[in-house]
Amino acid sequence: MTAIWYIVGFAFAGVSFVFLTIGAAWLLSHRNRGDVHKGLPYESGIDTYGDTHARFGLSFYIYALLFVAFDIEVVFIYLWALIFRDLMLGGFVSMLIFVGILLLGLAYAWRKGVLTWH
Amino acid sequence: MTAAVGRTWSRLTLAGRAVFIGVPILVALLVPLVLVITLFGGTIVDVLAANLPIVRFAVAATAVLLMSVPTAFVIIYMEMKVIALMNLRLGPDRVGPWGTLLSVVHGLKVLVKEDFTPTGVDSTVFTWAPVVVYLASVMSLLVIPFAPGLFGQDLNLGLLYFFAIGGLSVVGLLMAGWSSFNKYSLLGGLRSAAQVVSYEIPLTLSVVGLILLAGTMSLNQIVLMQSGSFLDWNVFRQPLGALIFFIAATAEANRTPFDLTEADSEIVAGFATEYSGMRFGFFFFAEYVNVFIISALTVTLFFGGWTAPFDWPWPVHAAIDPGSLGIGLLIALAVVPVIGTLVLAAPFWIARSSMPWWQAIVIGFVLFNLLVIVAVAGWAFISLDWVAGLFWFLAKTYGFVFTFVWMRGTLPRVRIDQLMAFAWKWLLPASLLNLFVTAAAIVVVGR
Repeated sequence: MTAIWYIVGFAFAGVSFVFLTIGAAWLLSHRNRGDVHKGLPYESGIDTYGDTHARFGLSFYIYALLFVAFDIEVVFIYLWALIFRDLMLGGFVSMLIFVGILLLGLAYAWRKGVLTWH
Repeated sequence: MTAAVGRTWSRLTLAGRAVFIGVPILVALLVPLVLVITLFGGTIVDVLAANLPIVRFAVAATAVLLMSVPTAFVIIYMEMKVIALMNLRLGPDRVGPWGTLLSVVHGLKVLVKEDFTPTGVDSTVFTWAPVVVYLASVMSLLVIPFAPGLFGQDLNLGLLYFFAIGGLSVVGLLMAGWSSFNKYSLLGGLRSAAQVVSYEIPLTLSVVGLILLAGTMSLNQIVLMQSGSFLDWNVFRQPLGALIFFIAATAEANRTPFDLTEADSEIVAGFATEYSGMRFGFFFFAEYVNVFIISALTVTLFFGGWTAPFDWPWPVHAAIDPGSLGIGLLIALAVVPVIGTLVLAAPFWIARSSMPWWQAIVIGFVLFNLLVIVAVAGWAFISLDWVAGLFWFLAKTYGFVFTFVWMRGTLPRVRIDQLMAFAWKWLLPASLLNLFVTAAAIVVVGR
């Protein structure tokens, strides 16, 4: 339990380190507002054209779905690996079945051409 | 009055401003500090002694945070110089000996550059994005065992902690890409999310074989398991796992040949397009700390961590204990420097008749100090096990840092469809294969 507080404390220290540095940079650097073109998003030298939150391909979203499925699998595999020496053959077979089902899903996605980047 | 102050202020040079701000702050801090120490010194020491773990952790956390700065400087310098030498150029050679101070100048330059916020951005998220990316890399330093007894915190879930914290960097990159309101940034952010997320799976799966063998996720335990000679290193028990880990970690840290997120010939600077000044600096700070961390973790998991590669009889504990010399030590401290300086100065004075005696003595003094430094370092290496451990750890880690720089100097960038296909069609099945082969081996051997 105390380990959690150590991590939180370290995160707090890290955040303060970053903001202290950014604050020091803010004090040391010169600033000017410039004209209206200075604040525009960079688009290779011309004024911004259209909406900057443009729509992008759906493939990003499918990778995220696959990632969620496999990342949760990884959490189970880690726990299984820690106590594997108590399970031995039974654990081996059950994990084979578990991963096999997930691999079926991956094979389906592969067959559907999801893994090929368009 | 204020106008006069403002005019004076605008005329000050940078150093003048720093002195102007720094000296009053220093005085304002020092006076209360001295007062508090003289008045309550004893009580403070008692309270600190009662909370030793917390004090130890505070010191370790500060050291780790501050250590990240010189680490990044060294790696930036290595990158400039090594790639230059590989390209048959000279590289940095003006600032400091062999240009070694150039990366410090780079750091100072980023510090004083204008930190501009474009008008369209979501400024809260825009400011927090580099903070999250930097935290995601520097917090991993907390669990890395640098030497026996020299680590931030020995978590029993150290490896899981490492992957959990490392996964946070995706959030930061997406925040940067989305809040910039720039098409290049958005594309860079989404690309990096897809890439980091895809390589996270083989990265986490590649170490499962190692966990099966070790039966623990504590990094200190994993290092202890590999003690002995270099034949006990995990890379020989898990060669496929080590290879997959190295490739996937390279992709996680967005290093060449997987640096599509900041492919400057395609999407300007990716997620960092709209950033400038120190907020931009923290993205690159985080990248170089990341290079150190993945090298350090590869060494810890697969190359024996701080253990020596050969079974040498070092460290010999307290080979010479300075305390045992007693009063002799005091006499030696008074006599040896004088004699040493004179002995080292004599050859110069004899051989070069044009040299004045004081110049010879200065040379002798410098030489004597160098000798003493070498001798003390050697003594510490032989008799303190954490010095030897730190030496081996840093030597191996910087070997891997060199490999990363080498890869950047040699390999071309991969195409994005190849990148994604490689993660899902090759690395993922290979890491599962590695896992099951290891598990089957444990079942067959039966222990």
